[in-house]
Amino acid sequence: MKILKLPKQQLDYFASVLQQFGEVHAPVKRQGKYVFARLDRWSDAVLEYNRTILPPKKYLLPPRETMFCYRRGTGYAPASENLDRKIVLFGVHSCDIYGINILDEVFAGKYPDPYYRTRRDNLTIIGIDCTPDEHCFCRSMRADFVDHGFDLFLYDIGDYYLTFVGTARGDDMVLASKTLFEPVTREDIDEYKRRSEAKRRAFQLDVEIRDLPEIFEMEYHADIWEELGKRCLSCGSCSMVCPTCYCYDVVDEVELGSRDGRRVRCWDSCLFSSHALVAGGENFRESRASRIKFRFYHKQRGFVAEYGRPSCIGCGRCIEACPVKIDIVEVLKMLRGAEDGATA
Amino acid sequence: MPLTQGPVPPATVLIVDDDWDFRESLGSYLKMNGLRVVQASDGREGVRLAMAERPDVIVMDIMMNERTEGLFALQSIRRTAALRDTAVIVVSSLYADAAGFSISPERAWMGQDEFIAKPVDLTRLLDSIKAHVSRRGEQVAVQERKEEA
Repeated sequence: MKILKLPKQQLDYFASVLQQFGEVHAPVKRQGKYVFARLDRWSDAVLEYNRTILPPKKYLLPPRETMFCYRRGTGYAPASENLDRKIVLFGVHSCDIYGINILDEVFAGKYPDPYYRTRRDNLTIIGIDCTPDEHCFCRSMRADFVDHGFDLFLYDIGDYYLTFVGTARGDDMVLASKTLFEPVTREDIDEYKRRSEAKRRAFQLDVEIRDLPEIFEMEYHADIWEELGKRCLSCGSCSMVCPTCYCYDVVDEVELGSRDGRRVRCWDSCLFSSHALVAGGENFRESRASRIKFRFYHKQRGFVAEYGRPSCIGCGRCIEACPVKIDIVEVLKMLRGAEDGATA
Repeated sequence: MPLTQGPVPPATVLIVDDDWDFRESLGSYLKMNGLRVVQASDGREGVRLAMAERPDVIVMDIMMNERTEGLFALQSIRRTAALRDTAVIVVSSLYADAAGFSISPERAWMGQDEFIAKPVDLTRLLDSIKAHVSRRGEQVAVQERKEEA
């Protein structure tokens, strides 16, 4: 892997050069929170942020998208709404890149989704290191460092960003920037290691996940699921903000008075009461307890069986978004019996 | 064929520059030469006015409130369907002032149609603007002929 360094004072020039590769989007502040949005001036970018409201999945799986239109007489027309839009996403945290890597496995792996694949090919990712806050537990989920999934990754080492080049496109961006990048020195490497160690020590949350699938297996009938079911509002906020929740619903929207229409897919949540409702009125997960249990089992156990790792990345968004303060770290600790009132 | 044939309106030039003196002096010079001029003092206002006024040519500075502001404004223009084909002449001293930023403006990586370094030669700039206006007129005529056919 090629490693260079970029002076911080040249970052705005670098961002300008990046515009050759697509629209530059970055975290910007809106009403006290952060969102990924298109920049129309560099000073809007906020590179020291905790987390965005929505993760980068919104660029790959839009909350609502038309898959195709159908019209009597002309037949089907595939939708290409914004599919060719090239975007450079600047300032993505390692946990969010880890989340994209998980989505890649689901949507660009064994059963590739053409819409996702096209958007993914058109998305350039420039990662940036971060400082964990009170809701971050990505280190527990092994998502505090990524070795792939980015085109470039920037690590703050003082006056410079140590820059890991992850792909050929990343290398093209470095080459297009001519003299902006400089070679790395011994002092830069030592500074990187010092800051990396400091970050490791900064995590306030820690949860052991090694034998978690087995504990989930044993605690399938634990009281905690009923207790959580009583608290959960089934609002789906946790799913919406989750970088790896990818459930969607597909509906045909038929125009009034005709048989023409469009097929649309939009975000769904396993916490919604209609999620497991099937024709005939049968609902496989009618109670809220069964739905929240399903969400935890899918993320922490089912995904491990399928892909060898949990699909939770420890970003803390669900903790922040939950209106009734259901805290995934507390739930996992209770399941492990690490805190009082643990299990049945 | 239009029903009435009125006088041809003057071509519009949008000047985007944070330097009031530069905008005013260039604006007066262009008006004296029969052009209509609108002015914006920063990139965002420039993009907004470009959408509202649909100028024939945009004269864009780069280093304004921020030193890369014009580069971002230019990209917004290039990525807006209604403005994508508008001629943009970058008039800047970026490459004289920016230490360590050695990417040649002659390469069209910024998305400009032409680069003219400051201090600007007004006669050359006027010739360039007229050339772009004339080219745009030809493009519009071709488009209209296509639509009529």
